Amino acid sequence: MSEMKKIKNLKDFSTSADRFEGANLLCPGCAHSIIVREILNATNDPLILSAATGCLEVCTAVYPYTSWDNSWIHIGFENASTAIAGAEAMYKARKRKGKLPASCEGKSPKFVAFGGDGATYDIGFQWISGCFERGHDMMYVCLDNEVYANTGGQRSSSTPIGASTVTTPAGRVSYGEKMMKKDMLSIMAAHGAPYVAQVAPNKWKDMVKKIQKGFATEGPVFINAMSACTTEWKFAPDDTIAISDLATDSLVFPLYEIENGTKLTITYRPKNKVPVRDYLGAQGRFKHLFKPQYEYLIDEWQKMVDARWEYLQRREEASV
Amino acid sequence: MKYLGWDELIPGAILFSFSEEMEKDASEILPEDRPYAETNSHEAYVGDWRVLKPVYNRDLCIDCQFCWIYCPDVSIISRDKKMIGVDYDHCKGCGICVEVCPTNPKSLLMFEERIDNDDALAQWPEKE
Ligand SMILES: Cc1ncc(C[n+]2csc(CCOP(=O)(O)OP(=O)(O)O)c2C)c(N)n1
Ligand code: SF4
Ligand code: SF4
Ligand code: SF4
Ligand SMILES: [Mg+2]
Repeated sequence: MSEMKKIKNLKDFSTSADRFEGANLLCPGCAHSIIVREILNATNDPLILSAATGCLEVCTAVYPYTSWDNSWIHIGFENASTAIAGAEAMYKARKRKGKLPASCEGKSPKFVAFGGDGATYDIGFQWISGCFERGHDMMYVCLDNEVYANTGGQRSSSTPIGASTVTTPAGRVSYGEKMMKKDMLSIMAAHGAPYVAQVAPNKWKDMVKKIQKGFATEGPVFINAMSACTTEWKFAPDDTIAISDLATDSLVFPLYEIENGTKLTITYRPKNKVPVRDYLGAQGRFKHLFKPQYEYLIDEWQKMVDARWEYLQRREEASV
Repeated sequence: MKYLGWDELIPGAILFSFSEEMEKDASEILPEDRPYAETNSHEAYVGDWRVLKPVYNRDLCIDCQFCWIYCPDVSIISRDKKMIGVDYDHCKGCGICVEVCPTNPKSLLMFEERIDNDDALAQWPEKE
C-alpha cells in the first residue's frame, strides 16, 4: 500500500492539486462538488472513478467536456457500483497474472463509485448489495440529497418525512412525504462490510479521516455523504455550509461509523445541540410544517431524532 | 493532437483530458502546469452565471483556507498555504466563500459584477 497523504490541518490540505475541475454545470452552491473535492483531495493515489446518472454525472460530463482529471466511467443510473467493481476485478486479475503495464508499478489505485440517493437507496440497490456481498475492494459514496434532484425533485426512499417534493407535494390535504428515510447505513453494515460511515462536507476533517480510513480498508466501503441541495431543499446558494451545520448540530444527520458490521463509533458530538425546528425552518421544502395543522410534526421530528441519537449512543456503548 | 475513433482504442484504454502525456498523476501537478486538452472543463467559462462576484481583500485575510475547502467550484486559488485570489472563469458567484470567511470585516465580500475590484476594495466596510 502506498503511504497515506498527510493532512494535519486545513492549510496542509489546501496545497492539494484538485483533480476535479470547475466550469462543470452543477448549480452554484451545490454540495455534491464540495464532497467530491474533499474525497478526491484526501489521496494522491491514482483514482479510478465511476458515477451513476444524476446531477454529478450529468453536470461533469457535458459533451465535449469532462471535469475529471483521472479515469472516470459512466454507464447507467443503476450500475456505478458494478462498473467500478468490474474495473477492480480486472485490475486484480491482471496484477495476479503479472500483466499490468509498467506504469502501474508501485501504485495503489483507489476504486470509487459515486451515486445519488435515488441511484443508491432505490434504483442501484441490488447492484451495490451484490458488490458488497462479493467483497470488492472499492468505496461506494452516496451523495445523499434526499431527492431525485436531476429530474426535477421526485421523492426517493431517502426523502425524510414531511418534505414536500414534486411527487409528494404538501398542500391542504398532505404534509408531504409520508415515509421515513430509509436507514441505508444499517443496511450496508448488515452486509458485514468492513467499514461504513456517514459524513458531511461541513465537517471536512471528519470527512478526510473517514475517507482515508476507507481507502486503507480492504474490501467494500460504504460512505453516506449528506449533500445539501440548494435547488430542491430550497435555500439560498450561499447557505449550503450553514444548512449542513444545522443538520449535523441538530443531529438530524449524525456522524458515525460502523466497523465490521457491528462496532459503532460516534465521531461528532455537537457542543451546542440546536433544535430540529431550526433545521426544518431554514428550508423551503419543510415550510408548510410551520402551519398550525402540521406543526405537530415538528415535535414528532424532534422525538424521532432524539430516539435515534439515544439508540446510537447505546449501540456505541455496547459495541454491538 | 491526433484524434482516434472510439473503435480504434484498445480495450481497457483510459482517456485523459490532457493534450499530452503527463509524467506524473495530476495530483502532483498544479493546474497552471497541466497540459489541459480543450475538452477539459477547466478550459470552459461559467463566469457569466454570476450576478454578484466575490472580491478578495488580502489585507484582512488570515489564510484560514475555509473559503478554499468550501468553494464548490475550485475557484479559490491557494498556493503554498496562502489564499491568493478568485478564479473568475470558474466562479459561479454562489457566495459560500463569503459566508464562511471568519474575519471581521470579512476578507471576501460580494459586489455587483460591474464594479471594479479596486473600487470595491475602496468601499470595504469597517469592523463591526
Ligand atoms: C434506469 C433509469 N431510470 C431513470 C433515469 C432518469 N434519471 C436520471 S437522473 C435521475 C435522478 C437521480 O437522482 P439521484 O440518484 O438522487 O441523484 P441526484 O441527481 O439527486 O444527485 C433520474 C430519475 C435514468 N437515467 N435511468
Ligand atoms: S439540483 Fe441540487 S444536487 Fe443537483 S446540481 Fe443543483 S444543487 Fe446540486
Ligand atoms: S462565490 Fe462560490 S464559486 Fe465563487 S469563489 Fe466563492 S465559493 Fe467559489
Ligand atoms: S476564508 Fe477569509 S480569512 Fe480565510 S483564507 Fe479565505 S479569505 Fe482568507
Ligand atoms: Mg438525489
